[in-house]
Amino acid sequence: MELSINGQMRTLDDAAVDPGMPLLWALRDVLGLTGTKFGCGVSACGACTVHVDGAAVRSCVAPLSTLAGKRIVTIEALGSADQPHALQSAWTLHQVPQCGYCQSGMLMAAAALLAKNANPNDADIDAAITNLCRCGTYPRIREAIKTAAESMRGKAAPALKPASTRNA
Amino acid sequence: MKRRTLILSGLGAATALVVGWGVMPPRSRQGRADTMPVVGGEVGLNGWIKVAAADGHIVLAMNRSEMGQGVHTALAMLVAEELDVALDKVQLVQAGPEKLYGNVAGFVAALPFHPADGEPGHETRVVKTGQWVMAKLARELGINMTGGSSTVADAWDVLRLAAATARAQLLGAASLEWRLPAAELVVTNGVISHPSGPQGHYGLFAKAAAATPSGDVTLKTAKQWTLIGTPAPRIDLQAKIDGTAQFGIDVRLPDQLYAVVRHVPAIGGSFGAVNVDAALGLPGVERVVRLGTYAGSTDALAVVGRTYWHAQQGARALRIEWRAPPAGAVDSAAIDQALERSARGAAASGGGFTFYSRGDVGAASTNAMRRVEQVYRAPYLAHATMEPINCTARVAGGKVEVWAPTQMPGAARAAAARAARVNEAAVTVHVTYVGGGFGRRLDVDFIGQAVRIAVETGGRPVQMIWPREEDITHDFYRPAGVAVMQASLDAQGMPIALAITSAGDAITPRWFERGLPALAAPIDTPDRTTSEGLFDLPYGIANQRIGHVATKSGVPVGFWRSVGHSHNAFFSECFIDELAFEARQDPVAFRLALLKESPRHAAVLKLAAEKAGWPGFGEARALPTGVARGVALHESFGSIVAQVVELSMVGGKPKLRRVVCAADVGTVVNPMIVAQQMEGGVIFGLSAALYGRIDIEGGVVRQTNFPNYPIVTMAESPHIETHLVPSTRPPSGVGEPGVPPIAPAVANAMFVLTGQRLRALPLIG
Repeated sequence: MELSINGQMRTLDDAAVDPGMPLLWALRDVLGLTGTKFGCGVSACGACTVHVDGAAVRSCVAPLSTLAGKRIVTIEALGSADQPHALQSAWTLHQVPQCGYCQSGMLMAAAALLAKNANPNDADIDAAITNLCRCGTYPRIREAIKTAAESMRGKAAPALKPASTRNA
Repeated sequence: MKRRTLILSGLGAATALVVGWGVMPPRSRQGRADTMPVVGGEVGLNGWIKVAAADGHIVLAMNRSEMGQGVHTALAMLVAEELDVALDKVQLVQAGPEKLYGNVAGFVAALPFHPADGEPGHETRVVKTGQWVMAKLARELGINMTGGSSTVADAWDVLRLAAATARAQLLGAASLEWRLPAAELVVTNGVISHPSGPQGHYGLFAKAAAATPSGDVTLKTAKQWTLIGTPAPRIDLQAKIDGTAQFGIDVRLPDQLYAVVRHVPAIGGSFGAVNVDAALGLPGVERVVRLGTYAGSTDALAVVGRTYWHAQQGARALRIEWRAPPAGAVDSAAIDQALERSARGAAASGGGFTFYSRGDVGAASTNAMRRVEQVYRAPYLAHATMEPINCTARVAGGKVEVWAPTQMPGAARAAAARAARVNEAAVTVHVTYVGGGFGRRLDVDFIGQAVRIAVETGGRPVQMIWPREEDITHDFYRPAGVAVMQASLDAQGMPIALAITSAGDAITPRWFERGLPALAAPIDTPDRTTSEGLFDLPYGIANQRIGHVATKSGVPVGFWRSVGHSHNAFFSECFIDELAFEARQDPVAFRLALLKESPRHAAVLKLAAEKAGWPGFGEARALPTGVARGVALHESFGSIVAQVVELSMVGGKPKLRRVVCAADVGTVVNPMIVAQQMEGGVIFGLSAALYGRIDIEGGVVRQTNFPNYPIVTMAESPHIETHLVPSTRPPSGVGEPGVPPIAPAVANAMFVLTGQRLRALPLIG
């Protein structure tokens, strides 16, 4: 089986996978792309979010049989320390992660949102980001998405000063 | 002469250091210079600090697990501060299994003393003695635990002194080489220099420093800090935004197999007939392993496969019969009723263990104008860490290696040794990033399971993962609890007596029994966690009796972020709100009137009220129609937190729009991380307040996964702002104290809108 992952055609050994296997496990256990996480297995938490033809997809319930010929992008290809995606820069600015486990899925869901909505409001963010975070990074994610949207629209990002940190 | 003696005499004892009491003199926690193994030109200076000869960067022995609470960053900051290096010059390596790296502060804080009796510098004799004994015991045992919001408090003196001593030795070596007075040398980002010209990075002096006495060492004063107190970016951030952070579940080894666990559905049950033929017939399934029980786990089978998915298909194909435990299946509704009977009985008879008493409750209630009595209750809760329970193990050549997201590497090592029947010396534990701990990973059941599987795989490493359903149905749950709250009021409606009698399972003795069996006591001693958040209230009510009936319900119970405070704060702060209503007083003003003995608590409450625009405090902010405020104040883990929520009722559910959080956490090492933890505490606590409940019927937990064990989403998250009270006290807890106040604050605000008091959690659902 062949899949387009992060711009490369990857061949999966037919003995290692079968068409019913969800993409998540092909990524993690066959290809070693562990940035995409397992959280619930029932499409409820979004930790496994990747892009399929640009849309956010929960890979724990996406069988390989449905993915032939589609472009799959994972957190590994979103950006790097040297060339961060605008969202990753905003994540740094707002110091979003705590345990970090849900963050790959959050970033991929946010990237899919910004790809189709350059200026999401709170309701847009609420509707698009239904991923779960147990550490409670939601308020910072909300702010970071807005910051990234702004910078992608060409406005400069504000200086490093997390808005919610204030000494009395 | 022993090396230890040499080091001590070399350090000199002329200058007394200003160090916190309660965690023992930290100098004896410096460790020997050869504690940490050295590689590639590194030089060890003590048990915590190595210096790289090549470029002078610092290597810090990291003894605590990073599970989101920011301790890797905070501890590195302490060391960078005293060594005058930038944060990125501190490299972390996992600390070894030595007792040096054990937690002292966390165990001292577990003693059931009232905070008013343990005020630093003013401890009562009993408190001082108890703390001294416990600190000594904890140092001897050396239990490495990340928990109890204790990491920074435990490291505060120890790491700063280790770093300052290393710095003094490095400066001493430079002074000797350059024949210039040490006092004239300056350090800029790890480079030592003298105004007359010579300069060189730490690495050039590392070898000589190891043989140079430090002389007298003084820690920086707060005014000299350039890093402590700043919102330094987290050092674990980049790896957590580009997918490279390695959690336990991300460990990949050559020839690795995967295993999926399927427990007996009923807690504590056992297997009857098991048919594995269908599972073994599936492609990619390698074998099925009968696990037995490990450190409190329920009996289970593990299916080993080529990938998680193959193993999971096999686990689903298992045909099993099972039996309830001999003691009978547990049932949460029956337990709830039994707890209420216990609490009511003890309230009537004065039974249970009295954690705190002052004055004479009986006499005061006889003289009271009026009495108020209410019963509060809370359910079992699961942790539901985002990273499912997992552990990777390899058993080969008489050696055991374990890779695990754990809060207890030492207990994990012991559990692995038991499971593989080897000595602990044959076991190496690699601690990964932890994808959420919240206390779940203080238990080591899953370590033994993984090692047991790896014993069967012919030397191939195996990564064991629990499906989410196994996690929710086989957790160590936050205990259910019931409390009878009784107050006696004077003619003005003010409380003159408070009696609280609660009932619920003790966690600590059960945890020792299963995880640290060598340290388990033959009988249960009073467990602070049962009554914390009730016996330790700051309110100056003259007559109090706070007791608890410790039960054994048969449900596995564990530490859940903020532990007893998680439900006891709901009981106490809702009841206080009820008393304010009875006295016809404003909830903030009423609390302040009772806080005359507790100025720190009053300051935190006032700050929250001011920032929230509470009427009468600061700049009043009018609320839209249909929006109400609620407040709660709670001390836990040495820190005081007040929260004011603003919410409306939408379709019978509270919709939070804003939470103002004020906190006194002692000295703030990193205000950004403190704010993160307060935000996280609010949202974690909100999930429990609104939805959290585990129901057990016939021994089987009814909830299974996020669709029926919901947690708060982005759309339900309020705007949260954190305000910190400046403090010169040593740092106290940060990871947990944000959790307890939110449930009562929400319930108190709901009362304003609905006129209905909710005395049971969860509030909806």
